[in-house]
Amino acid sequence: MSLMARDYSFLLFKSVSHALSAEIILKRHEIPFKLIPVPKQISSDCGVCIRFSPVDNERITGALSCAVDIDRVVSAGCDTIFS
Amino acid sequence: MKQIDARGLACPQPVILAKKALETDPVVEITVDNRTAVENVTRLAQSQKCSVNVAERNDGAFTLRIEKNSGGEKRAESLDGPAVSTLYKGLIVVLSEDRMGRGSDELGRVLIRSFLHTLTETVPLPEKIICYNTGVKLAAEESDVLDDLGDLQKKGVDVLVCGTCLNYFGLSDKLKVGKVSNMYDIATLLVNASRMVCP
Repeated sequence: MSLMARDYSFLLFKSVSHALSAEIILKRHEIPFKLIPVPKQISSDCGVCIRFSPVDNERITGALSCAVDIDRVVSAGCDTIFS
Repeated sequence: MKQIDARGLACPQPVILAKKALETDPVVEITVDNRTAVENVTRLAQSQKCSVNVAERNDGAFTLRIEKNSGGEKRAESLDGPAVSTLYKGLIVVLSEDRMGRGSDELGRVLIRSFLHTLTETVPLPEKIICYNTGVKLAAEESDVLDDLGDLQKKGVDVLVCGTCLNYFGLSDKLKVGKVSNMYDIATLLVNASRMVCP
C-alpha cells in the first residue's frame, strides 16, 4: 500500500506539538486515524501528519476546530485550505 | 533417548539443555513448566530440523518429544510469508527501546512510530525484528505500532520479543505481535547478523 493511498486524507500541522495535541483530541473522540511521517509526495519537510479516512472528515473537523491550529488538509488528489 | 527435567529453570536454560542433548541423542524428551519455554524449545527443535510433539501433563507441566529427522517442520517464516527475496537475509532491526533517540521521550515515541511505519514501505525488508528492554512495549497491548508491526509480520518479517523483558514489565499475557524469544536466540541472531539497524 502506498503512503499516498487514494483512500486517505491527511492533516498537516505547523509543528509536531500541534500534531500531538490533535492526536490526543482525536483519541478522546474515538475517531480512527494514524499518525505517520508526512508522505514525500506532499512535502519534503521532516514531520508527522495525521492520516484519516475521508468519511471522518466532518467528525475530525468538528473535533479539532478551535482546538488545534491545522496547517492544511490534503485529500485524494487535491489540496485544500482548512479553515 | 535422553530425558531432561527442566522444570523450575529460567529461560534460556531449557533451550540450552535441549540443544546440548540433541548433539548426542537423536531423540530428546524435555519437561518444562511454562508455555514460554514450550515455544522456545519448539523453535529450537524446528531450527534443528527436528519434529516436536508437545504433551500437557496432569500437573500443568509440558513434555516435548524432539526427534531428529531429515524433513523436520517448516520454519515459521516460510509458512505465510512472502517470497524470501523481499527480505534482506541477515538484516536485523533491533528495538531496544520504545522510542527513537535520546533527548525527548515524547519526540522519541513519535519518531519510533514514524520509523516503523516507514519500514513497512521499505525494500528489502529486514529478516527479523528483535524487541528487548522497553522495546517489548511496542509489541504489547496499547502500543501505537501494533498495526505496522503486524503488517511487517504478514510480509514475512520475523518479530521476536524478549520473554524476560515481557515478564519484567508485566506484559507476558499482553503480547499482541511477534513470538516470545529468549536470550539464547537473541544473542545467536545478533552475533550472526550481517547488518543491524538500531534506531
